[in-house]
Amino acid sequence: MKINHSYSRRFFIKSSSAFAALAFIPLTVRSFFNEVKEKYFVKKQKIPLSVSINKKEYQLEVDTRTTLLDLLRENIGLTGTKKGCDHGQCGACTVHIDGDRNLSCLTLAVMLPGREITTIEGLADGDKLHPMQEAFIENDGFQCGYCTPGQIMSAVACVKEGHTGSVEEIKEYMSGNLCRCAAYNGITKSIQQIAT
Amino acid sequence: MDYFFDKPIANFATRRVEAEEKVTGKGKYSAEYDFPNLVHGVFVGSTIPSGKIVSLDLEEAKSIPGVIDIITHQNRPEVPGLKGDDAKFMFKLFHTDNIFFDDQPIALVLAETLEDATYAATFVKAEYSESNFNTNFHKTKDSQEPEDIMAEKGSLESWEKAEFIVDQEFKIAMEVHNPMEPHATIANWKDDELTLYDKSQNVYGVQSQVAKIFNIDPDKIRVISEFVGGGFGSGLLVWPNTIAAAMASKHLNRPVKIVLTRPQMFTNVGYRPESWQRFKIGADENGKFLGAFHQAKHATSSHTGHTDNITGLTRKHYSFPNIKTEQAQIQLNISKPTWMRGPGDASGAFAIESAVDELSEKLNMDPVDLRLKNLSKTDMYGKPWSTNYLNECLQIGAERINWKQNRKSIPGEIKEGNWNIGYGMAVGFWNAGRKDSDAAIEMKPDGSIVVRSAMTDIGTGTGTAMQNMAHTFLGLPKEKISIELGNSDLPYAPTQGGSWGLSSLSGGVAAACKSLKTKLADYAYGSKFIKGQGNLKLLKLDAKGIRMEDDSLEPVSYESIFSQNNIQVINIEESSSPGKEAEEYGFCSSAAHYVKVKVNQLTGDIKVLEMVSVADGGKIINNKAAANQIIGAAIGGIGMALMEEQKFDNNHGRLIGNDLAGYHFPCNADAPMIDVSFIDKPDYNRNPAGAKGLGEVGIIGCAAAITNAIYNATGKRMRDLPVTPDKILMA
Repeated sequence: MKINHSYSRRFFIKSSSAFAALAFIPLTVRSFFNEVKEKYFVKKQKIPLSVSINKKEYQLEVDTRTTLLDLLRENIGLTGTKKGCDHGQCGACTVHIDGDRNLSCLTLAVMLPGREITTIEGLADGDKLHPMQEAFIENDGFQCGYCTPGQIMSAVACVKEGHTGSVEEIKEYMSGNLCRCAAYNGITKSIQQIAT
Repeated sequence: MDYFFDKPIANFATRRVEAEEKVTGKGKYSAEYDFPNLVHGVFVGSTIPSGKIVSLDLEEAKSIPGVIDIITHQNRPEVPGLKGDDAKFMFKLFHTDNIFFDDQPIALVLAETLEDATYAATFVKAEYSESNFNTNFHKTKDSQEPEDIMAEKGSLESWEKAEFIVDQEFKIAMEVHNPMEPHATIANWKDDELTLYDKSQNVYGVQSQVAKIFNIDPDKIRVISEFVGGGFGSGLLVWPNTIAAAMASKHLNRPVKIVLTRPQMFTNVGYRPESWQRFKIGADENGKFLGAFHQAKHATSSHTGHTDNITGLTRKHYSFPNIKTEQAQIQLNISKPTWMRGPGDASGAFAIESAVDELSEKLNMDPVDLRLKNLSKTDMYGKPWSTNYLNECLQIGAERINWKQNRKSIPGEIKEGNWNIGYGMAVGFWNAGRKDSDAAIEMKPDGSIVVRSAMTDIGTGTGTAMQNMAHTFLGLPKEKISIELGNSDLPYAPTQGGSWGLSSLSGGVAAACKSLKTKLADYAYGSKFIKGQGNLKLLKLDAKGIRMEDDSLEPVSYESIFSQNNIQVINIEESSSPGKEAEEYGFCSSAAHYVKVKVNQLTGDIKVLEMVSVADGGKIINNKAAANQIIGAAIGGIGMALMEEQKFDNNHGRLIGNDLAGYHFPCNADAPMIDVSFIDKPDYNRNPAGAKGLGEVGIIGCAAAITNAIYNATGKRMRDLPVTPDKILMA
């Protein structure tokens, strides 16, 4: 059975509004929460992690609070995966875990033993760019380039998932990846080109 | 006219020079430079909008493992430009106990890892004495009368009795730039030299302001912004993250990185302020405009001013014999606003272009024809336009969307099930500016060159444009031309903003190319080469060497030029400035936007089905990147019209939903495929490339085009942005 690891933008809008509601709970409840936090939240703990990133095995000691995104960017120097919001709202941090698109900012590094992670740095075949990377260049599917790695990782998954039946379908299934430059024409065209 | 341009620049649709770095993730944005010994800094923001910090409790936060130090107003290293009455920054960051806005940085937690710093920041406790505050723009705006922003032209009274008058009020919500890359700085002091990897649109601007604030020689500061993940205006100024990182690095004698969180992007790096406008327009029975009266008020911060010239556009693109423009800025306990894409004019255009649409209906005239009838022949000072193709933009756009055929003059005529279909249009207009800009070229014996400028590329395609221009000016194949930019070590460039980036830069690149040609001719032909425009024009750089197009002199290889003259490298650096052309002409970019929307009668949902933008940006240097700019601006216009809105909880003076789940800008499915075309005629009076800016003009007018289409679909005039479904249902 195929497990779907991706989450919709709507899910996060819902869940983050639930957390926002916490701000309005009475002070006594909040201080109770703080005490609970004090007692049960481990402040800092490092545990060993073996993980495969772009077909390379890493043996790491990771902070249990570290997200996959921060592991990539801050700990092992793979800065191609971008941080746009840190809350699963923008898609800039999209990577593949076992071939499916996932938000690395919502994935704790410690969840990953035995999983195969592919980032934008691992997409090309040596010096030969992935066809989707070529398509993005040809169709000018970016401007500033910051959301681009996430867009490309999502685009590759979008094709694999088969959500490329029409411009509307591509747009719908690429809407978890925001682009403030709004290079959406080029992004959509790139995917169309690869899918057909 | 410059001598280079008997043959205009070819309309290259090329790969961007930095394309591969962007699609492989190799390009380094400011937070991505690797330093051993790097310290992570996380801001703690105030939780009140106005008052004073009474005490700070840092004990618990400091006990968190990994924490190195916490900078506050009590222990900060003293920075000359942040103290005293003449502080050189918007507020005295860590040099005051005053709180001016909610989420104002009150502490910077410095720790060994991002996790340590983020966690420790939650333990910083502050006690405040709170003052009264006000964040409610609409409740406050009536307290202040607007004042003339420019001298009145003609008089209000003279068109009081005009046969056709529209007089309406307009509101626009606060909008936030939200580039995808959060603002970030890595600061590194070494001895007395400071290096800043900073997310900025303006490396020299950062250099000079940081120099002022720290009272050091600008030459001691390097600013690197090689890859910039979008700006839209948020990167024009220096913000707290840059100052705080520099302060902390000096304090710890280690490199320090600060990356703003997304919520901090709503309070620390500016926004387009909330605004109110009244626009009154009068016309005679033939549709000739008689006068305009434009009032505007917008929010600003109480601690430092900002003016969006919202009424400026009223004096630009139409011809009004009588104009009065008034403005007021309403001070509130909020963070500092700043320029955002199409500053002033994008707001003003919403009122003007909506009112003109309403007027056209009263006149029973087609809105396109009404505009064509009233386009200005001169700029506001009476100078003729050097080039102004707004009329052509209007006509081409109308053809592309088949306006005459598709658009019905009576609203609500086209229905599909529960959906009403409508068409609307509006125009955009922007001053085509130019500033001083230098450029340098380095040539190696193999004939390859590097073209250098400090200009940043914020997604604009600046590097690719530099390559295209150098290729056209010199003839040298593009694969021999590489680009360096976004670094204060490189020749001077103004900020990438105001749509003057490419226009300014083309002057520097043209001057450097001309100088390189002259030098090569000197080396190769000596006195045989008669200097002069004609001959310089005939001189071409091929892959292997130089030649005269008319074969009047023998071709000479680069190899022999370099060896015969015993040189290893040729270095050229040239400056450029706008000339006296602005004394003779007015300069403008313009655009016409046409939109087809559908509006659901039951739910109020609005969907933009088609969008056609036709722009005059002078000569187009790179079709793909230019079209991409206009596509992005048009979609920015969809955001402004239909979804972008940052709200305050006025009871607490704080923002609500200040993240990308709460603040909506268009995602892929919110926008149709945008149809873009260009006039593509050069304006050589402006600069040697004949190019005029495009960044702003694409968004200006878009919101009105969409609300005009909504009116055409539903008969509902929407004058309060964004037009969310609830507003449609309540109208």
